[in-house]
Amino acid sequence: MDSSLILQQIINGFSLGSMYALIAIGYTMVYGVLRLINFAHGDIMMVGAYSALFCVTSMNVPFLGALSLAMLFAAALGIAIDRVAYKPLRKAPRISLLITAIGISFLIQNVFNVLFGSTPKYFPVPSYLEAVINFNNISISINSILVPILTFFILLVVLFILYKSKYGIAIRALAFDVHTVNLMGIDANRIIAIVFALGSALAAIGGIFWAVSYPSVEPSMGTLIGLKAFGAAVLGGIGSVAGAVLGGLIIGFTEVVVVAIFPDLSGFKDAFAFIFLVLILLFKPTGILGINFEKSRF
Amino acid sequence: MKKISIVILSIITSNIIQAKEINIGVVLPLTGPTAAYGQSALDGVKIANSMNNTLSNGDKVNIVVVDTKGDKIESANASTRLVSQNKAYALIGEMLTANTLQVIRIGEEKKIPVVAPAATADKILNKKLYASRVCFMDSFQGSSLATYVKNKLNYTKAVIVSDQSADYSLGLTRAFEKEFNKQGGKILDKFRITAGDKDFKAILSQIKNLKPDFIYLPVYYTEASLFARQAKAMGVNIPMGSADGVADETFINLAQEAAEGYLFTDSFDYNNPPTQLSKDFILAYEKEKQNKEVPNFTAMGADAYFVIFEAMQKCINDFNSKCINDNIHSTSNFEGVSGVISIDKTGNATRSIVIKSIENQKQVYKDSILP
Repeated sequence: MDSSLILQQIINGFSLGSMYALIAIGYTMVYGVLRLINFAHGDIMMVGAYSALFCVTSMNVPFLGALSLAMLFAAALGIAIDRVAYKPLRKAPRISLLITAIGISFLIQNVFNVLFGSTPKYFPVPSYLEAVINFNNISISINSILVPILTFFILLVVLFILYKSKYGIAIRALAFDVHTVNLMGIDANRIIAIVFALGSALAAIGGIFWAVSYPSVEPSMGTLIGLKAFGAAVLGGIGSVAGAVLGGLIIGFTEVVVVAIFPDLSGFKDAFAFIFLVLILLFKPTGILGINFEKSRF
Repeated sequence: MKKISIVILSIITSNIIQAKEINIGVVLPLTGPTAAYGQSALDGVKIANSMNNTLSNGDKVNIVVVDTKGDKIESANASTRLVSQNKAYALIGEMLTANTLQVIRIGEEKKIPVVAPAATADKILNKKLYASRVCFMDSFQGSSLATYVKNKLNYTKAVIVSDQSADYSLGLTRAFEKEFNKQGGKILDKFRITAGDKDFKAILSQIKNLKPDFIYLPVYYTEASLFARQAKAMGVNIPMGSADGVADETFINLAQEAAEGYLFTDSFDYNNPPTQLSKDFILAYEKEKQNKEVPNFTAMGADAYFVIFEAMQKCINDFNSKCINDNIHSTSNFEGVSGVISIDKTGNATRSIVIKSIENQKQVYKDSILP
C-alpha cells in the first residue's frame, strides 16, 4: 500500500469518525445527567436533517440560516419530548424510561414515514462544502475537513459550558444527585430541559452534516447512526464528553482499517467496530475515559 | 316459424348463460414500503385488462386485486382467498422475491398457475409445476452487462462492489464475474457492503488505487447513488454500472450529476417499443396517465396479464387451470409489451434485456441483448 493511499484512508477515517463523534456528544450528555440512554437521539438527528431540508427547499433559506432554524426546532422538540415522555417518569425505574425512549424513537420515525414517505430525499448541498482539494493523488472535500474542526470546536464549547458556566455547575450538580439539587435552589426540571435542548441541537447539527456528507435524507437514517454513536459513547466512556469524541474516532478508524486491510470482509465493518467495542469493555468496563458513576460524574 | 324462433331464442339465451366471467387474481403490495412497485405493476395489469378482456367465446376476464402491504403472510392469505373465494383461475404477483415465494407456494398447493412479473432471483422456480415468470433471471442480467462492457466498451479490468445482505446482489455478482472472466476480462478485486451503509470513501480509495476500467455495483439505488456521489467527490472517474436496482427515477434524483454516464440493465425502454403490442400499450397508458413514460414494472405487470390471457384463449374448449398452466409453460415468441417472451417447461422466461445509460439526467437506450 503506498503512502498516499494510507494518508487518504487516514483522512477518510477522521471524517467518518468525527461524524460519529458529533452525534455521540449529545448522547453522552443526556446520559450523564439522567442516566437515560436516549434512543430517540438518532431520530432527533433525522428531524434536524429534515427541517433543514424543508427550510432550504421550501422556504429558500440559505444553508447557515437553515442550520440555525433546524437547531432551534430540534431543541424545542427535545424539550417537548422530555416534558411529555420522560418528565412524568422521573421517579420510575430506569427501565421504564428506556422503553419510553424506544417508543418515542418509533413514533418519530413513523410520523415522518407518513408525512414524507420512506423514499430517500436528495439534500441540496451548498457548493462551497462540496468543493474538492486535490494534491498528490489525494482528494479531500471541504466538508470532510470542516466536520472534524466543527466537532472539535463543539467539544470545546460543551466543555466550557460544563466547567466554566453557572449552568455547567448546575448540570454537574444535577448529574451528581437529581433529588438533592432541588434543595439547593436549582430547578432540576429546567436544567434537564436545557440539557435536552443542547443535546438535541447538537443532534441536529450532526444530522445536517451527515446529510451534507451523504446527501440523502430518509426517516430511518437515525437508527444505525444512533446505534453507532451510542457505541462510540460507550467505548469512550459514557457520560464523558471527550470520551464520546475519542470513541467516535476509534469506531470510524476501525471501519476504514477493515476495508483497507481486508477488502473481502469490508461488508462486516460494522461487526468489527462492535467486536472492538466488546473487547475494550472487557478490559475497561467503564470505557476508555469512563468514570465510575458511583463516585463522580462528568 | 314459432318453433324456429324458440330455437334461436334458446341458442341466444344458452349462449348468454354460457358466457362466463373468469377471474384472474392479482396479489400486489399496494401499501407499505414497497407500494411504489405494486402500484406501477397494477397500472399495467389494469390497462392490459381494459385493452383485452374478452376471450374468443365471449367469456369475460376480470381481475380481482388484493393488497399484500408488502408482507409475506398477507401475500399467502391474499392468494388463498383469491383461489378459494374468488375462484381465480390464475394469479399474478407479487413483486418481491420473498412474497412471490408465498404466492407460488399457494399456487402449487391449489394447482393454480402463478405468473411473477418481477421476481428475478434465479432459483425461485426450482421444482415448481405451476409457477412461471415474464421477467429475466438475475444470472442473465449480470452476464449481459459483463458481455456488453467487455465486448462493446472494451473494458478489461473490473471491480465488483456487492451488497452482502441481498441475494439479488450476490447472484448478480456471481453471474457478472463468471461471464467477465469467460470473455477474457479480469476482476481485480471484490468489495462488500451492507444495505444501509453510507460511507464508501474507504472502499473508493482502494478502488482508485487499483485503477480498474469499470466498477460493477449490483446494489439498490440508495447505496448506488451515495457511491456515485462520493466517487465524483473523490475524483474517481471510473465508469460504473448496476442492474435494474437503479432503474428508477429516485436514483437520478439522489445521485444528480454524479449519475451521468451510469450504465444499467433493464427489461424495457418506452422510447423503443419493441412490438406492436408495446406501441398500443404506450398509447393506452398515455390516455390514462397523460404521460407516455411507461415504467418498467407497469410493462411487466401488463405482460404477466397478457401471457395468462393468451393461455386462456387456447383453453376455451377445455377451460381448467391445468390447461392454462400448460399453455403458459409453452408460450413461445409472444410479442409482449416489454419484448418478445418465451416461457419454457421450468417456467423461466427467455427474453431480451435492454442496456441503458444516464445522460443529461435521463435514461437513454444503448443496446438490446438477446438471449
